[in-house]
Amino acid sequence: MTDNSEQEYVAGEPTDDPTTDDMRAQTDVSTSVSSSGSAVHANTVVRAENVDVWYNDEQALKDITLDIPENQVTAMIGPSGCGKSTFLRCVNRMNDLIDAARVEGDLYLRGKNVYDDDVDPVALRRRVGMVFQSPNPFPKSIYDNVAYGLKIQNKEGDYDAIVEESLKRAALWDEVKDRLDESGLELSGGQQQRLCIARAIAPDPEVLLMDEPASALDPVATSQIEDLISELAEEYTVVIVTHNMQQAARISNKTAVFLTGGELVEFDDTEKIFENPESQRVEDYITGKFG
Amino acid sequence: MATRDDVIESFGHVSRTTGTVFRYLLLAATLFGIVALTVLLIYVANDAIRPLTADPGWHLAFFLTLVLPTLAVSGYLFRTDPASFRFGAGVVGALAVSTMFAGGAAMIFVDIVSPVVWFGYVIALCLALAGVVVIERFDRQLPFLARFVGAGAVIVGSVLVVPGLIQSLPVYPTDGIMLTLSLGAPVAVVVGRYAAADAGRRGQALAVLAGVAGVGAGGVLGPLLAIGAVPATVLLAVAVVPTAGFAVGTVRRTPARRTGLLLTAVVLGGTLVGAAAVDALGFAGPQSWVDWQFLTSAHSGNAVDAGLYPAIGGSILLMVTVAALSFPLGVGAAVYLEEYAPDNRFTRFIDVNISNLAGVPSVVYGLLGLGVFVTYLGQPTGTVLIGGATLALLILPIVIISAREALRSVPDSMREASYGMGATRWQTIKNVVLPRAFPGILTGTILALGRAIGETAPLIMIGAPNVLFSLPTALSSKVSAMPLQVYAWASLFASEPFYQAAVPAGVVVLLIVLLSMNSVAIVLRNKYQSDSK
Amino acid sequence: MSTDDIQRDLTRRTENSPQELLTRSFFFLCAVLSIVTTVSIILMLTTEAAKFFTVTAPLMGVDGPTASVVDFLTGTEWVINNEQFGVLPLVSATLAITVGSAVVALPLGVATAIYLSEYASQRAQRVLKPALEVLAGVPTVVYGFFAVVYITPALRTIIPGLGTFNMLSASIVVGIMIIPMVASISEDAMSAVPDSLRQAGYGMGATKFDVSVGIVVPASLSGIFSSFILALSRAIGETMAVTVAAGTQANLINPLNPASYLEGALPMTAAMVTLLTGDVTGGGIAYRSLFAIGLTLFVITLVMNVISDVVAQRYREEY
Repeated sequence: MTDNSEQEYVAGEPTDDPTTDDMRAQTDVSTSVSSSGSAVHANTVVRAENVDVWYNDEQALKDITLDIPENQVTAMIGPSGCGKSTFLRCVNRMNDLIDAARVEGDLYLRGKNVYDDDVDPVALRRRVGMVFQSPNPFPKSIYDNVAYGLKIQNKEGDYDAIVEESLKRAALWDEVKDRLDESGLELSGGQQQRLCIARAIAPDPEVLLMDEPASALDPVATSQIEDLISELAEEYTVVIVTHNMQQAARISNKTAVFLTGGELVEFDDTEKIFENPESQRVEDYITGKFG
Repeated sequence: MATRDDVIESFGHVSRTTGTVFRYLLLAATLFGIVALTVLLIYVANDAIRPLTADPGWHLAFFLTLVLPTLAVSGYLFRTDPASFRFGAGVVGALAVSTMFAGGAAMIFVDIVSPVVWFGYVIALCLALAGVVVIERFDRQLPFLARFVGAGAVIVGSVLVVPGLIQSLPVYPTDGIMLTLSLGAPVAVVVGRYAAADAGRRGQALAVLAGVAGVGAGGVLGPLLAIGAVPATVLLAVAVVPTAGFAVGTVRRTPARRTGLLLTAVVLGGTLVGAAAVDALGFAGPQSWVDWQFLTSAHSGNAVDAGLYPAIGGSILLMVTVAALSFPLGVGAAVYLEEYAPDNRFTRFIDVNISNLAGVPSVVYGLLGLGVFVTYLGQPTGTVLIGGATLALLILPIVIISAREALRSVPDSMREASYGMGATRWQTIKNVVLPRAFPGILTGTILALGRAIGETAPLIMIGAPNVLFSLPTALSSKVSAMPLQVYAWASLFASEPFYQAAVPAGVVVLLIVLLSMNSVAIVLRNKYQSDSK
Repeated sequence: MSTDDIQRDLTRRTENSPQELLTRSFFFLCAVLSIVTTVSIILMLTTEAAKFFTVTAPLMGVDGPTASVVDFLTGTEWVINNEQFGVLPLVSATLAITVGSAVVALPLGVATAIYLSEYASQRAQRVLKPALEVLAGVPTVVYGFFAVVYITPALRTIIPGLGTFNMLSASIVVGIMIIPMVASISEDAMSAVPDSLRQAGYGMGATKFDVSVGIVVPASLSGIFSSFILALSRAIGETMAVTVAAGTQANLINPLNPASYLEGALPMTAAMVTLLTGDVTGGGIAYRSLFAIGLTLFVITLVMNVISDVVAQRYREEY
């Protein structure tokens, strides 16, 4: 993991440090930016500013503002129903598929607001990879699963090489290299999830979103996935939602804590969150007083 | 892998043209059959009813009194209060469909089963039921078998003896009164209880009495309007009283919907006023081939005089027979397969068997009827009984499959609740499962009967006569059916006049009957699905 | 309660009380009736057909005119009055109807299924699905009438050489008749594809077209094929529409040659009907040929139904 100078970042409070010159040019700061929209050290891949989400009349996310840094694992933890997955699905506008969902605020992917009127959600999703809670490989061959993203985008290149590379990065190549023609459904649960990861990274996404990727797997497969995620961060920016705090502590660089009501209560380096969080509520959650 | 941009200007755009073209192609494909059928229906309706042969004044009169007001009120209601609109339209539809069924029922009581006979059987059944209730009071003293045999004896004895007794009475009430009591009373009981469900026992009793009185009025009104006591009474009992009860009951349950009755009033009033107007002003209506004469005459070699009456009667009798045979047997088989059958190879064999039977062509069922009933069992060809039995076998797999679906939709948690209280299997089925599944079973049966009404090939195979001059009156009478008569006209009597007059008229009548049955089934199913949500 | 009471209550055998036994037996008999029906059909068809064929007629104690199995299965003339009983013209006509209706119903049915399952809104579905059921509910005699009276004259404006009775109109109406079957079974198969697969597709930036055609349809292929086979089996067994619309001439035709659809022909089912409505007296060889054709028909549709079941079971994806 890359080494960053420590910087506190608590939602809603203005920071003291001025913008450093290290910060690469990012977004055109929109007028609705909160006063804390400064001091970012690594490249920011995804920036959320005052994102609110409603399902019909119920508010699922309140005023979310955070920056997701490049080539790191950012974990989102919190009790069930606090909006973590909802936020994830905002990044690639998968919430558009739900009639009852309404999104307000700004969300920038490498400087472009994904909710701008001229953004084509389908084109957006081709730049973002997503891995779901339950493995969902297509009923096609392993090769066709991994190559699916390339095929629909009509990408140029040597598909065989890309498929092999993706499967290697997903730590699956050795197990399937002799049976790429077999159906993806023939694999075990853990293998299927790694296949889904290979499928998601094959088109080389800007950011890899993972929604509780190990929660449906047995402990052995879970630890394989966790090792994998740490490696993936060398190439990709990973955002992972998990309800398993220990998992977040093990594998993430930064952690965002969502608590009841869809609030982002604290977002900081993982060590800080788990050893010395600023907010009492976060401390209570981490120590298991509720959750 | 690839190098990353630091800033993204745009995500690009993905072409949707293929998708859009595809979507419209799909829609066109979906609508193809529906549109084709609609066009064909319009053509045949035009050929049969010939609306363009009416005076322009006739069209204008009805346009002003019926079409315009209906459109206006419908449009208004649809925008402001869709639930009321649906209610009002539902009442109109219920009236139309039930009048059609009333016509069929009137045919039965005028020409097939005389009111005395029906009266006799109804009294017999009532006495039998009373007897069974009395026997059941002794359920602690007598073992089950004795009670069962006793009840059976009471029912059989009553049915065999009482009707004959009644018919041999020197004096019995008039047709109108008998029908009022034997047909109107049961209907009034059901309808009255629905209409006054919230009014307590007194209110319900009053409603039932009102219903009976309403039906009884037929005995007086009939002769006055030159229809005859029996048809008038039947019309009131099958069409008017049930529809009125439905309307009253719904209005009492959801008073907000009463504005829908405005639509009903406009339609009914418009029709009456329009009819009076064209009568007074002397406008000629369309020279439709589907007219009273067509519906009430028998076949004739002369296309213009040919009619559908015996075929309609035959279809009705066949349907009664088919329903009586296939409903209990089909539901019984479904109950066994869903509630009793263990999960072994024999059960799976029955499963496979039933789904294969559902795919056997209808001609082969006709051959079955011919080979087994006629040749092997030596029954006469082409009777109501043989025809009904053959058609019942034909639709039995369909009834079984849809009854199973309905039974399967009853949640297991209900069964478990019943078993958890120590109920036996039959008690659970009788009290919990069947009542809950009943609407679904009914819908499936109606759809299956609709299929049976339209079947021709099996009837040809068992030797049903191509033309029938008189109405079938008993299980052993030769029977024809509407589709068979139409086929005979279209093939054996194929000629220009028949293809112009009789065939389209027959097709239209057949389609109206079928579409009514299908719409009843669909309405039932929608209500059932929305109720159980 | 005393111990005796509890003892008696708890050991009372309610499952086998007379009431339970009675109801259970009644329901069992109802279910067994279906087996009785199948057995009767098979028995009756085989015994009567046995009386028809020369090789088996002596077993049935029938001496009278019979036909040889070989002549039956390979003969190209079906003229009853001439005692020529070659079934090939009938089979060829049945095949032609099957092919013709397949061309109409299979593409339209699958397209309808895709539209209903992936594109149509709830409101549209509530209107379209009952409308399709109406399509399936129209009596087949009426479809035959439509073919002769409306479709053939309309087609004649484009194809002047069309006969009054022709296979083309008959195929079209049979096709329209079986569209709902293909559509509803295929749509069931497509709805059964888990939504997580669609989500995976959308998550990768697939368009709705990609997801429908590239993910949903391949995943439901077994159900779609099964619907094809069932619908075609129905087309094979279709009687009245073809009897009215395709005429009564038993011509041997080539189902793959479009030109042969311009004339009439006599499928197996229609042959059976005309045998009875023509001048045929019972008991003779013509009567028995009825059962020979019926047996052939029954075997064909049975085999197709079994294949359809096998296809649906074997290739269904277990999600």
